[in-house]
Amino acid sequence: MPHFNRTPKRRAEFIKPPNVLKDKAGYGGLSESILQKAQKLLEDNVQDFQPLGMLYLESLARSIENAKDWKDARDTEGTLTQMLYPAMQLKANGGMFGYQLVTQIADKLIQFLEVLDEPDIGAIEIIMAFHTAIRAVVSGRIMGDGGKDGKDLAQALDMACRRYFEHHPPVIDFE
Amino acid sequence: MAYDFENISVLIIEDNAPMLGLLKSLLNVYGFQTILTARDGEEGYRVFQTHKPDLVITDWMMKPVDGISLSRRIRNDARSPAPFTPIILMTGFSQLRRVMQARDAGVTEFIVKPFNARDLYRRISQIIEKPRQFVRSEDFFGPDRRRKTTENYNGPQRRDEDSRSLIDKDVYYVDDIELSDPPQA
Repeated sequence: MPHFNRTPKRRAEFIKPPNVLKDKAGYGGLSESILQKAQKLLEDNVQDFQPLGMLYLESLARSIENAKDWKDARDTEGTLTQMLYPAMQLKANGGMFGYQLVTQIADKLIQFLEVLDEPDIGAIEIIMAFHTAIRAVVSGRIMGDGGKDGKDLAQALDMACRRYFEHHPPVIDFE
Repeated sequence: MAYDFENISVLIIEDNAPMLGLLKSLLNVYGFQTILTARDGEEGYRVFQTHKPDLVITDWMMKPVDGISLSRRIRNDARSPAPFTPIILMTGFSQLRRVMQARDAGVTEFIVKPFNARDLYRRISQIIEKPRQFVRSEDFFGPDRRRKTTENYNGPQRRDEDSRSLIDKDVYYVDDIELSDPPQA
């Protein structure tokens, strides 16, 4: 294949390792009944998410508090990561334990944190709103998607993020 | 005839105890008998070195050592006993740049939490039925980061070996992952 006037970018060695898993597992996949049994195990899981959820909410609250001093610390990435960690745990674990609305709201919070340039006061207020919303869901033990109220809540937070970005266009760094 | 996972050892690394318990039960239902566990990447790597499991399933965000650092150690540490071991990374992240970050650390499969029983099984089955070749270059060692085969690729090749040894050309793709960011051109 021609490279026009360019030389290939780099050399690489391709290795085909032995397929240990295939050798041990054999053929045929898992039966539908096993997959259904596994899914039922997830759905019937009675583990109470509330204590765990509250733990992550406390961690998020502490991170928000620290973020208020962000300008003194001048560590934007570190400040955002501190808030990202509990948000991620809430998103990941909420849905695994029946709290799909927690997952939905925390997912929006993560998307907000992932594109945030800096945790200014406007952003902190929105993050606090996310915290309050998730706290209400967890402490009220609102499992599932929360129905129409859950949808409205998620939509309101989404709108708040949109309004924020209308006033804070992305910073483009050309360096 | 069905898969027999009885002789396959799995190492789960997860800092959240309820989630760890849930995963263990899930793998038991699939038929896995030898399930090792660890609570963060540091402990996970020690268990990995001692027991050399056939499969690693790790969470991403853990302290003090996360799943990405663990994957790099499994792939690149001179003392790693099995650098080809398949690694499934679990995470709440779904943004494309995070998938790329995981891929660049040598992760084999990526699964977004929360997931269902079929999602996890699909990742395991993918590793068994469609194992990826490994690539060793100056700056990367891990599963080939491209996977989908297309015969219509006419662009320049990034590696010298591509033009010599491959008939079909590959482009990387991510399956079963809902991406929040559109793929970059």
